[in-house]
Amino acid sequence: MSAVAAPPVDKTTTAAIPWHLWCAALAVTSAMIGVHWDISWHRSIGRDTFWTPAHIAIYLCGVLAGISCGYLILSTTFGRNGATGGAAVKIWGFRGPLGAFICAWGGIAMLTSAPFDDWWHNTYGLDVKILSPPHIVLALGIVSIELGALILILGAMNRASGDLRGKLEWFFLYVAGMVLVALLVVFAEHIHRVALHTARMYRTVSLLVPLVLAGVALASRKRWSSTMVVAVYTAFLLGLEWILPLFPAEPKLGPVYVPVKQFVPPGFPLLILAPALALDLLRPKLESRRRWLQAAVAGAVFLGVLVLVEWPFANFLMTPGARNWVFGSHWLDYATHPNSYSARHQFVPLEKTAMEFWIGMGGALAAAILSTRLGLAWGGWMQRLRR
Amino acid sequence: MRSLLLAGLLAVPGAAHVGSPDVFHEGLAGPYRLLVTIRPPVVIPGVAEIEIRAATPDVREVRITPLPVTGPGVKFAPTPDLAQRSTHDPQFFTGSLWMMAFGSWQVRVEVDGEKGKGQLAVPVPALALRTQGMQLALGAGLFALMMVLAVGVVSIVAASVREAQLDPGAEPSPSHRRRGRIATGVTAALMVALLYLGNQWWNAEAGAYSRYVYKPLRIEPSLESGARLLLRISDPGRFASRKIDDFIPDHGHLMHLFLVRLPEIERLWHLHPEQTASGLFAHDLPPIPAGRYQIFADVVHQSGFAETMVAEIDLPAIAGRPLSGDDSTGSGPPLSQASKDRLAADLPGGGRLVWERGNEPLKTRQTTWFRFRAEDAAGKPAGDLELYMGMPGHAAFIRSDRSVFAHVHPSGSAPMAAVNLVQIQPVPGQTDHSAHAMRQALPAVVSFPYGFPQSGDYRIFVQVKRAGRVDTAVFDARVEP
Repeated sequence: MSAVAAPPVDKTTTAAIPWHLWCAALAVTSAMIGVHWDISWHRSIGRDTFWTPAHIAIYLCGVLAGISCGYLILSTTFGRNGATGGAAVKIWGFRGPLGAFICAWGGIAMLTSAPFDDWWHNTYGLDVKILSPPHIVLALGIVSIELGALILILGAMNRASGDLRGKLEWFFLYVAGMVLVALLVVFAEHIHRVALHTARMYRTVSLLVPLVLAGVALASRKRWSSTMVVAVYTAFLLGLEWILPLFPAEPKLGPVYVPVKQFVPPGFPLLILAPALALDLLRPKLESRRRWLQAAVAGAVFLGVLVLVEWPFANFLMTPGARNWVFGSHWLDYATHPNSYSARHQFVPLEKTAMEFWIGMGGALAAAILSTRLGLAWGGWMQRLRR
Repeated sequence: MRSLLLAGLLAVPGAAHVGSPDVFHEGLAGPYRLLVTIRPPVVIPGVAEIEIRAATPDVREVRITPLPVTGPGVKFAPTPDLAQRSTHDPQFFTGSLWMMAFGSWQVRVEVDGEKGKGQLAVPVPALALRTQGMQLALGAGLFALMMVLAVGVVSIVAASVREAQLDPGAEPSPSHRRRGRIATGVTAALMVALLYLGNQWWNAEAGAYSRYVYKPLRIEPSLESGARLLLRISDPGRFASRKIDDFIPDHGHLMHLFLVRLPEIERLWHLHPEQTASGLFAHDLPPIPAGRYQIFADVVHQSGFAETMVAEIDLPAIAGRPLSGDDSTGSGPPLSQASKDRLAADLPGGGRLVWERGNEPLKTRQTTWFRFRAEDAAGKPAGDLELYMGMPGHAAFIRSDRSVFAHVHPSGSAPMAAVNLVQIQPVPGQTDHSAHAMRQALPAVVSFPYGFPQSGDYRIFVQVKRAGRVDTAVFDARVEP
């Protein structure tokens, strides 16, 4: 026996978005502002304390997610119907929406990363790279909160109808854009300006982006969902690119190779808007096909369009024409050695031979196809999500 | 000929010294005399602790800045940090600085006070000295959190498969429950695989870091033609840029070699081998009795980075040549007969050296002035002290197990060659080796700033030059934790 009760649908079709969803969306935004601000802080000032504004923005994510998800889980577990109207899963004796549990997991992961990261610094020095085990635990925590918020909104969206559903769809796309921002910042070292001619960059982007775009497209059913999700990423990154340098900053650590005077922004966003648009245009023609075929075509189109636009654009970013406030190629970290690729505006020859490069690009194509296929499976699951 | 090398046997890293990484330096920042103590971090990047004592109360503000000694990083200094004045002692300032990269660094100290501004720079090596394990409590806490997270993932995935797609209020069917159990198994297996891969990654990162842990240059001693000591230097391979033939003179010599008789550490030779080829030093030994000897060999690289190489060697009785130049020797009672209460040592040249020790117990990590007063045969302050290699005195602090060795001067523990590299203006009389020959009368008291890195019994060899002759006195100290 499965269904025993009539599926309750949110009664008001014009209802406002519940406060806990606003809270979750604010949490993911705060986390992404905090993370980018913190990275910029390390690239401009170098040294920080526990209480920098960037750190507070990251902690605020945990606090906001904790408030909204804690309320949802406790009110559902101990109340009659709570805030979720019975749309809850049961984990470890607690009841609540699935997204709330994912957020809670992210919060515990963020908490775990703090003492782990502190020990790591004391043992192996202050890690100036993003990809270290404690940072990955932190990143998993933040990405989980983002994913939890997405699932939370999705559950409400799938149960809603009318105006509320429309509003929640926009909410869903915004948070999906933030998930994309979160995934790409974890691999910021792979997508740095100097790495834009490496197969590794294309592989990383192909592994992350089609997964989100395919999944969100299926779940949201919006005609231009991929374009909108990537527009959120692009607007967010452009905002950082143009706003951060407006604030003064100076290095408090040596060696100082570049006399930085302002916050260093993250770099011009990837031009994934173009492949996202291509995917949206292509989707109506593919929708009725088998999923593996959809994945193969969409994955190949994604990578192909990305190479077509990003490769020449990367060339441009290395030219003096890009060394201005619009494209920001002139912003260098204080610790950029004069002999480094960044300072010399050259690409890192990561793949040593043409063969190695093309094998890497083959891997990128496989990653794009696999990622799209996984995204379609995830999207199908999300379509059916009710709790 | 039997010669035995045990290089690195007792080598606790400490760059310019052995097991003694802290830097002590006394100098002038313009009109202000400062005693600076730098405790470098044991991991890089890491935080160096800085202590500054002003000799006079006219210092208003002290600012500190870390800079590399050489390279493009010298051009732009980071924003200086304001050192905090002690509430108990207004002449004592403290601060902390990040050392972000390996190599030869300096701490620039800027002073502002009633006599205007002044600046001083102190060289400090930035090295990874060790890796550490995880404390049991922290390890247990993190392990518990890891288990909560891992089981949490499994539970969340199982719940999402079992009931997330059901309409609110609906109970999962047996097939949903079965799918939930399958998801539990698959996710649990995936988590085990992920944790295994994470562990592999952690091991790889730890392995990569351990390769950065400082290993001093190796030295292989051997004896040639019965009395010529050959010292072959090799690089254990950590620093790609480290060379074995880029040494610069420190007090006029490329190498200061201390030969210490074992096991009683009762006699010390302070010798100055010459570089005969790249990575090869040689010295004609003076008369030396047969026995086993510890070698401490100090060198300074072109970057100002100083290293002490260690080795042991068994020597036969060597007739040798008489000591000449700046070479010297001295002896005291055997270690087994050491007396911590003996505060005066007779000097072979007549008179004695008195340690003005005070009554305070010696403690670890406490910067202390070690003051020694030279007296003539009549017990009056000696009036015939001269500079010995540009310094009023040289002291070697050696722990009884030889895990600590520090070669210290009245200006401190930083090698003068490195000090001169970082000074804006060279320190007078310390680069010009001809000053050594000048027989200028010095005060009868010689002082050395130093702090013991660990507790235990130490032997202190103090060398002064009187009327053209180098005298060595030996003292013993017990250091409390």
